[in-house]
Amino acid sequence: MLDILFIGLSLGSILLLVALGLAITYGAMGVINMAHGELVMIGAYTAVLSGIWLDLGLFAALPLGFLSAAAIGWAIERVVVRRLYGRLLDTLLATWGIAILLQQAVRLEFGLSFFGIHIQGLGPGLQNVAVPEILQTTITIAGSSINAYRVFIVAVTLVLTLLTWAIMYRTRIGMQVRAIIRNPRMAAASGIDVARVNALTFAFGSGLAGVAGVMMSGFKTVFPDMGSSMVVDGFLVVVAGGVGSLLGSVLSAGMLGEINAVAAAVTNDILARAIVFGVVILIIIVKPAGLFSFKGR
Amino acid sequence: MRLSTTTTLLAYLAFAGLVLVAPAFLDDFWLNRMAKYLVFGMLGVAISLSWGYAGILNLGQGLFFGFGAYMLAMSLKLASPTSLAQGSDTPVPDFMLWNAEPGAQTDLCCITGSSFLWQPFISQGFGIFMGLALPVTVAFLLGMVVFRKRIAGVFVSIITLALVLLVRLLVIDAQPFTNGFNGLTDLGWLTIGGFEFDPYSQATYYLVAITLLVVLAAARLLVETRAGLVLQAIRDDATRARYLGFDVPAYQIFFFAVSAGIAGLAGMLYVVVAEFASPTFMDLAFSITMVVWAAVGGRSSLLGACIGAIVINMIEAGASETEALVEAWKAVIGLIFVLVVLFMPRGLGGLAHDLIDRVSGATRKAEGRK
Repeated sequence: MLDILFIGLSLGSILLLVALGLAITYGAMGVINMAHGELVMIGAYTAVLSGIWLDLGLFAALPLGFLSAAAIGWAIERVVVRRLYGRLLDTLLATWGIAILLQQAVRLEFGLSFFGIHIQGLGPGLQNVAVPEILQTTITIAGSSINAYRVFIVAVTLVLTLLTWAIMYRTRIGMQVRAIIRNPRMAAASGIDVARVNALTFAFGSGLAGVAGVMMSGFKTVFPDMGSSMVVDGFLVVVAGGVGSLLGSVLSAGMLGEINAVAAAVTNDILARAIVFGVVILIIIVKPAGLFSFKGR
Repeated sequence: MRLSTTTTLLAYLAFAGLVLVAPAFLDDFWLNRMAKYLVFGMLGVAISLSWGYAGILNLGQGLFFGFGAYMLAMSLKLASPTSLAQGSDTPVPDFMLWNAEPGAQTDLCCITGSSFLWQPFISQGFGIFMGLALPVTVAFLLGMVVFRKRIAGVFVSIITLALVLLVRLLVIDAQPFTNGFNGLTDLGWLTIGGFEFDPYSQATYYLVAITLLVVLAAARLLVETRAGLVLQAIRDDATRARYLGFDVPAYQIFFFAVSAGIAGLAGMLYVVVAEFASPTFMDLAFSITMVVWAAVGGRSSLLGACIGAIVINMIEAGASETEALVEAWKAVIGLIFVLVVLFMPRGLGGLAHDLIDRVSGATRKAEGRK
């Protein structure tokens, strides 16, 4: 039983990393980023490519994945999203277009027919990333064997979540982000450079997605469409947890991860996902503001 | 801002004329293809009605399309030659034989656990009835829960999005009942009063075209009624409408259900033309793509959204067959989405409005000077 619960915890961790970025950008800027899943995919491909080109392992790919996804996220914000603030549903549609563009760019069918470029490791094929040997062991706790790689995932998520919390609640820029979440106009009037803070926030959220992608590359195949389902799951976590509440995202990611793992152990993977969707629909219907939304005002 | 009724009427008539004379210039292959695009045009109308007029962005319209498609496809599956040739009293779908327990009786009543539910679908009339009734009922019940609880905006979108994915997974999981991932293929032809609709014939094209024109006209008339005007008032300011004493959820539920019914109808016609039903109809990508068609065409214009769907699909077909673009066409479509949202927020329909306004404004000025 403990091993199933731990699988749930690691699923929830990946979900949380994806959801944190969505939660920050949706909460702070009113942007639904449908290309967020593609940033996960970019993180995963960073792991693949850094292995092929630079001979780097998974550990070194973590910061690289963060940086490459953050850079692309920053570019998306500068070029497209900044023109759409205040138009929630339009951000959804435009970023969906970006998602298609990024997927096709990675497939490189773009390049093949236009420039004759071929990049080793990219393209429509499947890719795998080897997990470092230290993480291939299993740990035995109370009679249940637990995969060390899953412990690693949980640990990295824990560190990044604490880091996010520290940035949001212990730094100047975090205070500015929270001010923007509460009231963007008032924040601008108080001298906060909203455009700059927004761009940085967007890049940071994207970077977290990139890290999630690197870690996923260790236990899932890497392919151009892998991001599409991630963004849906991440968004469900954000909405179920309560928009604008970091704690809500953390708790609902853990909860949905556990539901998924337990249901998958009892039934099958397909039904487990269906059950998660059902639970989220019920949560929104019963508590439209989410389970852990902050009250008042 | 508002177009004169004459201009609008002219636009609708021009569109109807184009759709009706098109077969004169098309071979069988293109006829079948155009019929599919017209079905997508019908989806544009459904989206425009719920998003543009009711302000409800349904990201799960594929659910209702899929319901319509599967209901009729079940009937047509039973009408296919392979289903009829099983040597039992009732036709039995081939995949049920593959999924059956060894030694199970080869009859719809009990070949697999839930196969008896297929029995009424032997009648195509029942399939057609369910293709409309199921989407409308589900939309009605969903609307009852969602709109009575005053859930609005993006939360409605999330619920519909999660719902379509939920149903898609259930359809895939119910392999013995729905043939799972593969969907329903090898279908028979729709038969009405002894007449068989060959998917590649002019008759089928006209079945789709005339249904589309009727739906378009009916939707147009519907939004012109008092109920349609109240609906637009709700879209613009739900709270004010509520204070004025209108039963806001009732209007929303009604139009949501109508939009679902149109999508169900489109699903049925798609099955007649394309001869298959598959869980991909309930993919997230398909549902969002429909919304983008409507956004490109202009969501607040029924005709605009309809034309948007048709035009984008024609561009897609053209781009995917152009040598230079053969592998980049999807990226081109993605780029079009981004550019339209950024620079034409009201879509092609809005652009047309502005153009006509400018032209008619100029003539009015010229007349004023006389």
